[in-house]
Amino acid sequence: MNAKPVAFGASDKLTFLLSLVPFLMDHDSVSVSAVAAHFGVSEERVRDAVNLIALSGVPGETRQYLHGDLFDIQWDEFENNDTIVLTHLVAIDDSPRFSAREAAALIAGLQYLSALPENGDRDAIASLMAKLTRSSTGAPSQLAVSRTDSDVAISVIQGAVRAGTQVEFDYLNARGTAEHRCVDPLRIESVDNDWYLRGWCHLREAMRTFRLDRMSALRSTDAPADDHDDAVVLPDSLFQGSADDLTVTIKLPGSALGLLADYAPVPTGPAAADGLIRAEVRVSHFHGLKRLVAGLAGVVTVVEPGAARHTVADWAAAGVARYESASGDSVGTLTPGAP
Amino acid sequence: MSPTPDQPHPVTVEERLFSLVLALIATQIGLTKAEILSTVQGYRQRFQVGGDNASLERQFERDKDDIRELGIPLETIESPDDPGSNHHLRYRIPKGLYDLPADITFSSDEIMLLKLAATVWREGSLSAESRRALTKLNSLGIESTDPIIGYAPSLRAREASFEPLSKAMDRGQIVAFLYLKPGESAPRRRVVAPLAVVLHEGRWHLYGTDQDADAPRTFLLSRIVGAVVTVPGSTPAPADDGLGQRALAELDALWRAQVALITAQPGSDAAVRLSKRGTPGAGSDSVELHYTDLNILADELAGYGPEVLVRSPAALRDAVLTRLRQVRDDHAPHPTSSDAPTGGDR
Repeated sequence: MNAKPVAFGASDKLTFLLSLVPFLMDHDSVSVSAVAAHFGVSEERVRDAVNLIALSGVPGETRQYLHGDLFDIQWDEFENNDTIVLTHLVAIDDSPRFSAREAAALIAGLQYLSALPENGDRDAIASLMAKLTRSSTGAPSQLAVSRTDSDVAISVIQGAVRAGTQVEFDYLNARGTAEHRCVDPLRIESVDNDWYLRGWCHLREAMRTFRLDRMSALRSTDAPADDHDDAVVLPDSLFQGSADDLTVTIKLPGSALGLLADYAPVPTGPAAADGLIRAEVRVSHFHGLKRLVAGLAGVVTVVEPGAARHTVADWAAAGVARYESASGDSVGTLTPGAP
Repeated sequence: MSPTPDQPHPVTVEERLFSLVLALIATQIGLTKAEILSTVQGYRQRFQVGGDNASLERQFERDKDDIRELGIPLETIESPDDPGSNHHLRYRIPKGLYDLPADITFSSDEIMLLKLAATVWREGSLSAESRRALTKLNSLGIESTDPIIGYAPSLRAREASFEPLSKAMDRGQIVAFLYLKPGESAPRRRVVAPLAVVLHEGRWHLYGTDQDADAPRTFLLSRIVGAVVTVPGSTPAPADDGLGQRALAELDALWRAQVALITAQPGSDAAVRLSKRGTPGAGSDSVELHYTDLNILADELAGYGPEVLVRSPAALRDAVLTRLRQVRDDHAPHPTSSDAPTGGDR
């Protein structure tokens, strides 16, 4: 399901060995390719594991790892037909339990999924979580995810993805301009509580990512979506830079870099005497940046270019002006003067 | 006929661990450390009869930890004749506790859901844990129904403190960290026994027993500054397996009790986004927003600049205005000298 190559450590390899044995036991004769497909690993990895299993066992009475103390396979079948036939078992014959942390990772994932409309069957999810708890060694760690109210937009878009039709909606860009968009929806993605639609925008004639909470008047249409499956590969990161991007230098404490992860800040040197580091971010315009920086008061400051500083200062000053002009209102107990 | 395992070949880590697991499952009464080191594949090749096996013993200690981390119940049994002695400790893996309980089965739909749940963690150690859980699940040989298309939900914990905190929680360790409490200007060292780590309203929180106050407290992970370190002492595994849900319930209660009234400029980004999250308030263009942390909401609302005017509470109004003034002043047209690099590259 996840095509990303992952580093396979000794713990992963051991888990694979312990999982492969009961699987092979349940299958009298199975091809290497079928095992690889089922476990989502390469055929090479399956062959390596089978070779290792077939030579492994217990020390036995003689403590010499004699033939009867080892697993065995039909070597001819394996070497000539790439097929695995397990003929002798040692010590294990059942699937291992989950660790407390493995169960916790799946349970938290399920809690997160339970917010989605398709997974609305709470009873089914609750029974699954109970099974995981019983299947783990030790109580699963207390990792919990709150339910969020599922957005009706998710259902609308999901329906359109399935039906292969376009959706349309009004969308505000970061400059504050509303535009009507028709989009071939390809995928809904989320990161924590933020949801995004990725799809082909007919207005821009390009792949675009849209925040669900910036859409208004979303509806599905009868217009069929174009087929993008072969032509378009969705990149892993939600946002891509372009050649026209502007480079902005900011300064911030090194510990705050994570807050800007979406902007992929590149530090340009070690911390200065004030303990702050300089970093460069690339933005398509300053209007998204001004919102970001105004929400991180005292943490992130724009150093240059001057135009970017200006845009940020104007944005904040306009905000201040709203309070100062409203300060005659009877609302609140605003303290006048500088903080 | 298979090749014999006695031929000299380097024993890989996974072969040694696999052989250790097999040997410890096969034994009823357990094996002593000496028996393991001298007979089990991967150890016996390096074992020196009557010699110094200190490094091999350390290897065994690490292997035991690695095996337990995978959820394999590696037990230590004290000798009844010689309690307290390390020398006669025996090690084994009870098969009944190793095997997945026989009555546990999963349907194809459940496998599909679990596979989707496992892809939720895209990074960090929980992504590796999910992957291993999926491998174990695959050993059952159940085919999954077709996955839901078009979804890629993911959970991220950007805070550097997430990994050390969740690991310390699993191991029953007590941690210390510097915490910048909302509304305070300097961080304070807190010593906490972690009980649960929860995601609420898109933010990760630590729920734990504050060792100084000896009372439960909730901490925002984003306000933990600097490293999380473990301190001596341990905490018994909590008897209550509903602590995560309890922490969420407390945060929910706090969220419900606190409400802000704001005005959002019609048609603006703030109006579109905040009105979806809140409920319409009294008066046109006004929105009521619930919140758990005033300072976090103030950060967010300041980001909207002139699009939002906070009506109440006064503390939130002050907090937003203070932030906007600071941003305005920090970006004044003439940078202070500390901002200007001395080089001539501008």
